[in-house]
Amino acid sequence: MSYPAKLSSIIELFSGLSDAEKRETLIAYADQAKSQEPRGGDTFDLEDVRKDEECTDTVAIFLRLNDQGGAHFRITLGPQVQTLTKAMSSILCKGLDGVSPEEILEIPADFVPKIVGAELVRLRSQTVYYLLTRIKSVSKVWIHRQRSASQDNNA
Amino acid sequence: MSIDSTYAHPDALVTTSWLADHLKDPAIRIIESNEDVLLYDMGHLPGAVHIDWQRDLQDHTVRDYIQPDAFAALCSRNGITPETTCIFYGDKSNWWSCYALWVFRLFGHEKVKIMDGGREKWIDEGRPLTREVPHYEETPYPTPSRRRDAEIRAFYDDALAQSLGKLPLIDVRSPGEFKGLVTHMPEYPQEGVLRGGHIPGAHSIPWKQAVNNDATFKSADELRKIYQTELGLKPDDEIVAYCRIGERSSHTWFVLNYLLGFDNVRNYDGSWTEWGNRVGAPIEKSL
Repeated sequence: MSYPAKLSSIIELFSGLSDAEKRETLIAYADQAKSQEPRGGDTFDLEDVRKDEECTDTVAIFLRLNDQGGAHFRITLGPQVQTLTKAMSSILCKGLDGVSPEEILEIPADFVPKIVGAELVRLRSQTVYYLLTRIKSVSKVWIHRQRSASQDNNA
Repeated sequence: MSIDSTYAHPDALVTTSWLADHLKDPAIRIIESNEDVLLYDMGHLPGAVHIDWQRDLQDHTVRDYIQPDAFAALCSRNGITPETTCIFYGDKSNWWSCYALWVFRLFGHEKVKIMDGGREKWIDEGRPLTREVPHYEETPYPTPSRRRDAEIRAFYDDALAQSLGKLPLIDVRSPGEFKGLVTHMPEYPQEGVLRGGHIPGAHSIPWKQAVNNDATFKSADELRKIYQTELGLKPDDEIVAYCRIGERSSHTWFVLNYLLGFDNVRNYDGSWTEWGNRVGAPIEKSL
């Protein structure tokens, strides 16, 4: 399957980088993680805030759908979350912006090592996959809710 | 806060304030070792070098540590000589800094210390971090004649002998891992092993019992109460500590060796990822 256009651009950007450049670029994305947090006045269609076993701190995912059915995510990360996971929050918020929840469920996780590079995907850095799982989980819940609401309306 | 002078080797620790006053001391090298692979890049103590537990300390094809020539090269490119006092600090309450220190001891580097409280305490106190990566002139570091595996490192056969001989085996993992309720470390379920439980005869003393909430080590009296009064260990006991891959047990190794002065402590770095997966290895569960 092909990736959403914005995510493809990010993957392409990373594919041309050396390991050292990848590292620098990931740091730059991690630095932007704070700017992906909800802003005052934001409203959301779904919020999923929890600390679970797959990550070192609380992660909150906020989903808003636009009129065309495209998803916009905001993410808040606890202070103990690893730097790679912080970088991935910026990458996913940008790369999946405007993509429908149905399309998000179909995105394979194999782009993660393409972005992060083989040197950094290793023991104790596997939480780098965690945010994609959480985003897919939120997307799935939203789809189920929409289907339930639609069935109720048709009943 | 000062270092407890009643530790067996109080000079094995420095405080954050002491280090803040010695950032430019040419006799020391400050070394950051973390679990988070990019944390050093996000900011580190001024002048600190980065030693990565996987990239720099482990062999990349054999599950083992680097050889003496690679250790000498690592020290050389970080401006370390055999006379340099290496002061380690890092994330996760100093797990990985203790691990790196233990590897330095494997190669016989004598002058090693831990910054008490690690990275968390330095940051909590509002002390400065920088992203500037220091460059030190290469130094001569003679290749160590050997790695001191027999003295401070235990292998599977050593741990088995310890178990069969009913000698002290300290399991420093979480209670759930020890009991066999989970086959992974808390927060890392993707890193499981085939079987849960512990080495027969092992005692459960989670590493965390040795630290305060601010990641500093507990006082000598508190540590003696845990390891000597309650567990019954004696300073001349032959002890093997293990966890999952050897980092949490490095922390306990440091406590027993440097803070309590036990001379015969070995770290079984193969730990539960070897024992729990190994064909023919006996296990115990305590559900």
